[in-house]
Amino acid sequence: MAHAHDAHAAHDHHDDHGPAKGIGRWLFATNHKDIGTLYMLFSLLMFFVGGTMALVIRAELFQPGMQLVDPMFFNQMTTMHALIMIFGAVMPAFVGLANWMIPLQVGAPDMALPRMNNFSFWILPFAFTMLIGTLFVPGGAPAGGWTMYPPLSQQTGEAFPMLIFAVHLMGASSIMGAINVIVTIMNMRAPGMSLLKMPIFVWTWLITAYLLIAVMPVLAGAVTMLLTDHYFGTTFFEAAGGGDPVMFQHIFWFFGHPEVYIMILPAFGIVSEIIPTFSRKPLFGYDAMVYATASIAFLSFIVWAHHMFTVGMPLAGQMFFMLATMLIAVPTGVKVFNWTATMFKGSISFEPPMLFAISFLFLFTIGGFSGLMLAIVPADFQYHDTYFVVAHFHYVLVPGAVFSLMAAAYYWLPKWTGHMYNMKLAKAHFWLSTIFVNVLFFPQHFLGLAGMPRRIPDYSTQFADWNMISSIGAFGFGLSQLLFVYVIVACIRGGEKASDKVWDSGRPHGLEWTLSSPPPYHSFETAPEVK
Amino acid sequence: MNARADLPPPRPTPDPAPAERVLELVPHRSLTPKTARIFIVSVAVPTFAVALMFTAQGFWPVLPFAGLEIGLLTWALRASMRSGLERETITVTEDSVIIRHWDRRGVQSSVFPRHWSRVTLHAPPAALHPSRLVLESRGHACEVGRFLTEDERRSLAVRLKQLVGNMNETPAL
Repeated sequence: MAHAHDAHAAHDHHDDHGPAKGIGRWLFATNHKDIGTLYMLFSLLMFFVGGTMALVIRAELFQPGMQLVDPMFFNQMTTMHALIMIFGAVMPAFVGLANWMIPLQVGAPDMALPRMNNFSFWILPFAFTMLIGTLFVPGGAPAGGWTMYPPLSQQTGEAFPMLIFAVHLMGASSIMGAINVIVTIMNMRAPGMSLLKMPIFVWTWLITAYLLIAVMPVLAGAVTMLLTDHYFGTTFFEAAGGGDPVMFQHIFWFFGHPEVYIMILPAFGIVSEIIPTFSRKPLFGYDAMVYATASIAFLSFIVWAHHMFTVGMPLAGQMFFMLATMLIAVPTGVKVFNWTATMFKGSISFEPPMLFAISFLFLFTIGGFSGLMLAIVPADFQYHDTYFVVAHFHYVLVPGAVFSLMAAAYYWLPKWTGHMYNMKLAKAHFWLSTIFVNVLFFPQHFLGLAGMPRRIPDYSTQFADWNMISSIGAFGFGLSQLLFVYVIVACIRGGEKASDKVWDSGRPHGLEWTLSSPPPYHSFETAPEVK
Repeated sequence: MNARADLPPPRPTPDPAPAERVLELVPHRSLTPKTARIFIVSVAVPTFAVALMFTAQGFWPVLPFAGLEIGLLTWALRASMRSGLERETITVTEDSVIIRHWDRRGVQSSVFPRHWSRVTLHAPPAALHPSRLVLESRGHACEVGRFLTEDERRSLAVRLKQLVGNMNETPAL
């Protein structure tokens, strides 16, 4: 019912919609930029927590024999390192980027559901406090690997329910993040922005959100069944009661393989934004990139069993999963070709984001090739559970996903903060990271091919040399990341003013570059054209 | 001879309605109810297909999680569509500025004397937050255009300043 009042008596809209002061601003944040910042800072913290665990692992493996930790603690470190890096570092970083960039790129005022956005972030600190808290309970942290295979995972001590609950919370956070992203993209695009006009980063996130929504119930169901097997007498995965522990592996990897793509598709989007900017050419084959991303997402649902060729499966199954896995090389090859074609005859410059993007292109491709080797069933029988697998997925995840995140940070940081960062230090960070990441992971191929098993705290002396080199690389890589933190903190605190377009000499596309740096401007000198 | 030729020409009819300008603000939504339904189905079908495949194998705990998730997605999309029904009109007449805001709670209206009103685009209270466009008069204020993008709000501020003028100022409409 409409009622008009004089202003004196009127419903007064002057309630203060501004953010709360101090810590309240962050606790009750609903602004997409604040929440994006929270996600990324949380992710950075988790990178260092998970990275410290990796350094414990590499310190122990520096020499054969047991030096620093006992084997049980070593296994806890491998398990926790993986869980923290996957669910605490890489995924929240991509969700943070989605929060920051998607509303700007699609021309929306904010994410579709700002309060749910706040909730999905604030679940994470509780989830990871609980997960890290398992280190201090009797029996220690989970030590059966991040895949939680039964029956081994059922032997976890008091940490078991904490692990399951933490995984549920991480899943709930991811789901809410994905729902927010998908609703924002589908329903809040600026007028005129059809799906095939969206920036490629938005496209890759849309497909990632589809994947997340499709597979997260599988993870939630799987860990719930572990819990009921443990406490409520069900036997979903217990052979003694007629259950099938191998089926857990099928269910887990039905979630787990798309999860791998959840961590790499947004990385493809980032690289597809950066390469055209610094090649000063439009992206070669935009439509093909979109279709290739969708194809990879589809194929990710039908390749899960390549993680478990050695459990024993019919020959037809082995053939199917081998060929389906190799098929992924086709759309991925399309992407690599298109990035290369974008750079071809481009006027390339080598700013830090571009350096990381090029490094991604080369090193991710190495990870892709070793993936192809692992896809071949007879070869996989040799490589399975060796350091070759460790080398493969670290090439995909570190110089792949993590380098793309660093590229994104260096690409958009001036837009976020309004300041340019120290280019020399950023380039130094790039070179140190690129050199040490190869020193760290490349020797692990040789170790795996020579037969060194993964997840062991001690090894035969024949593996000593490459392990030592790998550990030196690990410490070099880890310490180099302190430089990354320094560059970011210095940029947040001040620096040369960034222009609105930031990369003036480059050719950045997208709505975000039409806004000022940082985006919300509150004063203006020139009147914009009134629509 | 036409006698009517000696009559004075007819006077122009005076405009019965006083001059006014109406600005209507509507949040943009990309989906229509029909395309929203198609979208939900396109997400629900693969999600339930996967869940039912595992349920058929006896691993039924996947199914309730799939149901919960699609329920949450449906709620989220409905909330987004509903918030798209928000409307705001700013009617500027010779002597007043009337702001009407429609949302799911109904309509709220405020009337300000135009001559004593001022349009201000407030700086955000914290870095990275949106600005606030406020119409103020005699200690009272009403915020408009909260659902607009920063660009749109800036354009609206310029237009409103032209129409409302500053305090103690009444530009011609």
